[in-house]
Amino acid sequence: MKWFLFYPELYYFAGGLVFLFMSMAKQNNPRRDYFTALFLAVLGVLICLASIRQEGVLFFQAYRVDLFSQVFKVLLSIGLFLIVSICSNLNGVAGRYHPEFYLLLFVSTLAMMLLVSSVHILSIYLALELSSYSLYILVALRNDEQIGLEAGLKFFLVGIFASAVMLFGVALLYSTTQATYLTELIKALPGILDAPAGVIGLLLTLCGFFFKLAVFPFHFWAPDVYQGAANQVTAYIATASKVAAVAILTRMVAVSGDGSIYLVHVLVTLSIVSMTVGNLAAIVQQDLKRLMAYSTVAHAGYVLIGILSMNAAGFAAAIFYAAALLIMKFTVFLVVVKVADDGGNLEVSQLTGLYRRAPLLAMALMVSIFSLAGIPPTIGFTGKFLVFTAAMEKGYFTLILIGMINVVISLYYYLLILKAAYLLEPDEILPGIQLSIPIKVLTGAMILVIVVVGIFPRHLIELTRAAAQMLN
Amino acid sequence: MEFAGFPFLTAILLSCVIGFFVILIIPEERKGQIKWVSAFFSGITLILSVYLFVAYDKSQAGLQFVEKYRWVASIGITYLNAADGFNLPMLLLTGIVFFTGVLTMWELEYRVKEFFALYFLLVTGVFGLFMSMDLFFIFVWYDVSLFPMYLLIAVWGSTRKEYGAMKLTLYLLAGSALILPAMIYLYVKAGLNTFDVTVLMHPGTFTPFEQKFAFIFLFIGFGILAAVWPFHTWSPDGHVAAPTSVSMVHAGVLMKIGAFGVLRVGIFLCPQGWQFWSPLMAVLAIIGIVYGAFVGLSQTDLKYCVGYSSVSHMGIVGLGLATVSVDGLNGAVFQMFAHGIMTALFFSAIGYIYDRTHTKMIAELGGLSRIMPVASSYFIVAAMAGIGVPCLASFWGELMVFIAAFKTYPVWGTLAVCALVVSALFMLRVVQRTFYGPQNEKFAQIPDVPFGLGIPRMVLLAVLVIFGLFPSLMFDMIETASIPFMNGLP
Repeated sequence: MKWFLFYPELYYFAGGLVFLFMSMAKQNNPRRDYFTALFLAVLGVLICLASIRQEGVLFFQAYRVDLFSQVFKVLLSIGLFLIVSICSNLNGVAGRYHPEFYLLLFVSTLAMMLLVSSVHILSIYLALELSSYSLYILVALRNDEQIGLEAGLKFFLVGIFASAVMLFGVALLYSTTQATYLTELIKALPGILDAPAGVIGLLLTLCGFFFKLAVFPFHFWAPDVYQGAANQVTAYIATASKVAAVAILTRMVAVSGDGSIYLVHVLVTLSIVSMTVGNLAAIVQQDLKRLMAYSTVAHAGYVLIGILSMNAAGFAAAIFYAAALLIMKFTVFLVVVKVADDGGNLEVSQLTGLYRRAPLLAMALMVSIFSLAGIPPTIGFTGKFLVFTAAMEKGYFTLILIGMINVVISLYYYLLILKAAYLLEPDEILPGIQLSIPIKVLTGAMILVIVVVGIFPRHLIELTRAAAQMLN
Repeated sequence: MEFAGFPFLTAILLSCVIGFFVILIIPEERKGQIKWVSAFFSGITLILSVYLFVAYDKSQAGLQFVEKYRWVASIGITYLNAADGFNLPMLLLTGIVFFTGVLTMWELEYRVKEFFALYFLLVTGVFGLFMSMDLFFIFVWYDVSLFPMYLLIAVWGSTRKEYGAMKLTLYLLAGSALILPAMIYLYVKAGLNTFDVTVLMHPGTFTPFEQKFAFIFLFIGFGILAAVWPFHTWSPDGHVAAPTSVSMVHAGVLMKIGAFGVLRVGIFLCPQGWQFWSPLMAVLAIIGIVYGAFVGLSQTDLKYCVGYSSVSHMGIVGLGLATVSVDGLNGAVFQMFAHGIMTALFFSAIGYIYDRTHTKMIAELGGLSRIMPVASSYFIVAAMAGIGVPCLASFWGELMVFIAAFKTYPVWGTLAVCALVVSALFMLRVVQRTFYGPQNEKFAQIPDVPFGLGIPRMVLLAVLVIFGLFPSLMFDMIETASIPFMNGLP
C-alpha cells in the first residue's frame, strides 16, 4: 500500500483541517487551542519517527520518500512540537486568531515536509510557495498590526521576487536540459555546467532557496521580519524553516554532481560574504531578535560551506548542522519567549540580572550561545567541526580559516549577551521569572541535548551520513 | 575499549566532572559546604596526579596508563588518554595549582557556587588537554578550558575586569581559530581517517611542506596562549583583572597549555616544520624575554609586574623549545613546571595582600615585611625563584635552557642571559619597594596570614624547594620522553 508512505503529510493536513474547523467556532478559547495543538504536535513527532525507515516513490516519481527526507521530516515535526510547546503564553497574537495561527503552523510544516521529499521542479516550487505563503501570513498576524503588517509585506515582496528569479532559473535549466525531474537533471547537468545557461540557470534556481536560508544577498528581509513577527513565529522561521531550506538546498546542489568551478566559486563567495556580513552587522544590534536574524545569516554561511563541499561528508555535515541549528536557536528563543512574557520584543539590555531572576533560563542561554558560537563540548561545535572537515577534504583551507575568524568575531556579540545575563545588574529590582514545571523540564532537556549530543555525536553523525547517501 | 588497569587518567577527569555536578546540586547558601566539596574533589585530583607521577615506570618509558575508546569510529575520533614524561609534570602541576587555588579562595563570599562550578569546568579542560593524545579531544579540551574564563574574570575580577576578560577570551579564541584549521588540515592530509596523535606522528605521514605549513599555524595558535611576543598583550591585562585563584590557574597552568600544545601537536606531528621554523621561534622567544623584563621594570601595579615577568619566563620556555635539542626540551618542560608553581605562589601571595589592603599599587604599599612578614616571605621566595636563585626549581629550568641555547644560538643566547640581569633588577626593585622601605601606616594593623590560609602557599613553596634541591626527580621523568623523541627524529 503506497499511501503508507504519505502518512506524515496526510496527518499534518488533517491537523490543519482540525484548526480550520476550530477557527469557525464562535468562542475564543486559547487554552483549548493550545492543548489541541500540543497534542497533535506530539502525535505528529511519533508518526514521523515511526515512518523514518520507509522508502519509496509516489506521484509519477515526483515525490521520493527516503531516509534523507524522513530525517528532515522528523526534524520538522520536532521543530513544530517545540514551537507549539512555547505557545502557552501566545501574547504576540490576538486571541481570536489563535486557531488560524496553529492552522498556518501546521500547513507550513506540511509544506516543508512536501518540500524535503519533492524531486520534481514543479512540486518543489509548489511546496516552497505553500510554506512561504503560510509564513507571510503568520508574520502579519502580530498583535501590533503596524509592525506585523510591515514585516509581513516586506517578507512577501522579497519572497515573490526570489520566487520570480527562481522561476526564471528553472526555465533556463529546462531549456538547456529538457529535464524537470531531479533524477534526470543529475544525469544532464554535470555535462552542461560549463555552459553559461546551465550555471546561471542552476544559480538562479538556487536563489529561491537562498532566500529561505537568508543567505546574502537575500537576507534583507530577515532582520525586519524577525523583529516584526511574534516571538513564536520568529522562532519558527529561525528553526523549522531553516531546516527545510538546508534540506532542499542540499538536494539541489547534490544534483550538480561534482559541481563546476563557477558554481563553487559563487557558493564560496556567498558563504564568505554571508558569514562576514551577518557577524559584523550583528555586533551593533540592540534587539535580541534582530541580532539573532543576523546570526542566522552568518550561520547560513557556515551551512553553505558544508553544502559547497559537494561530497558525502559535506552533505552529512549540513544535515547535522541543520539539526544543531534547530536545537540551539530554539533554546535561545525559548528564553526570549519566557523573558518577554508580554509578547513584546526583547532588548539585549533587558536580559540584565537574568542569572538571579531565572538561573535555569540564564544557563540555557549560556549553553545555547556557546553552542551558536561553536565552542565545545556542544552540538554547535560538532556541527562546525564536521562542516570544516568536509571542506578540508576538498582543500578549502582559506575558507575554513575565514570561517574560524568569523567564529571569533561572532563570539564578541555572543559574549555581550552573556555579559548582560550574568554580569550587569538591572536598574531596578525585577521580580523572578516563574516557570511552570513542563517548561523547566523542556529547558533542562534542551541544555542536555545540546551538551550530550555535543559530547556523544556518534549516532547522529551516522544517521546523517546514511541520510546523505540517499542523495546520489 | 582498552584499559590497561584502573583508568587513573579518566578518574582525574571524572573527579573534576563529579565535583562540578555536586557543586551544582548544593544550594547556593551553603557556602562552607561548597568549599569543602571543592577541596575534597580537587584533593582527589592532586592525590591521583601525584600517584601517577610516582607510579610511572621510568625504566620502561613510553606511553603508560593508556586508555583507549573509539568515540566516533566513522571519522576516526578516539578517546585516547596516556601519560608520558612530557605530560606527567604538567598533570602534577595542574593538580597542585588546582588544589592550592581552591584553598586560596577559601575566603570568597560572592556567588561562591558559580565560581567553584566554573573553576572546576576550567580545570577539567586543562587536565583533559594534558592527558589527551587525540587531536579532536585536544581541541575540545582547549576550548573547554577557555570559555569559563570570561565569566570567571568578568564577574569576580578587579581592575578593568570586563575589558580584560573580553580581550583575553577573544585573543585565545583567535588562537583556536588558527589551531582548528591546521588540525583538520593534518587530519585530511594524512588520509588515515584518524585524529590519533600516536598514529599521525609516524615519520613520513606528512610531507615536509605540509609540516612547515601546519606548524606555523599551530605555533602561532598555541603560541598566543603561551604569550609568545607579539601575541602576549592579553596576558598582563588578563592576569591583572582575574581573581586570585583564576590568576594562579591561568598564569600557572593555562599558559603552559599553549607551550604544551606547541610541543604535543606542533612538534610531535610536524618535526620538520619545527626544525624549519625554530630560528623564528628563538627570535620571538628572546624578544619576549627581553621585552617582558624591560616593560616589567616600569610597572606600578604588582600584578602587572608578575604578568610581564610571566611573559619573560614563558619566553625561556619558548627558547628551550626552539633549540631542537634534548637539553632544550628538558629545560622547557622543567621551566613550564617551575614557572607554574612559582607564578601560582606569586599570585597567591598577592591575593592575600590585595584582600587585606585593597591595593596592588607598589607606591601605596611599602614596608610590608614588617607588617606581615609571613605573607611577604611567600612573595619574596617567589621573586627569588623568578630571578633564578639556585635551590629553587626555576633555576634548573633556566639553566638547562640557556645551556642548550648557547650551543644552538650563541649570540642570541648571550642576549637572553643579559636580559636575565634586567629581570633580576626588576624583581628586586619590586621586592624592595613593596616589602622594605618606609611602611604605609594605613596598613599597620593588618594581621599576618593565619596558618589555615597559609597552607596553600606553603605547599607551593615546598614544591619549589623540593624540585630545586632534587631536580633529578623531574629531569629523569622528562628524559624518558625527550630522549626517545629526539632519537626518533629523521
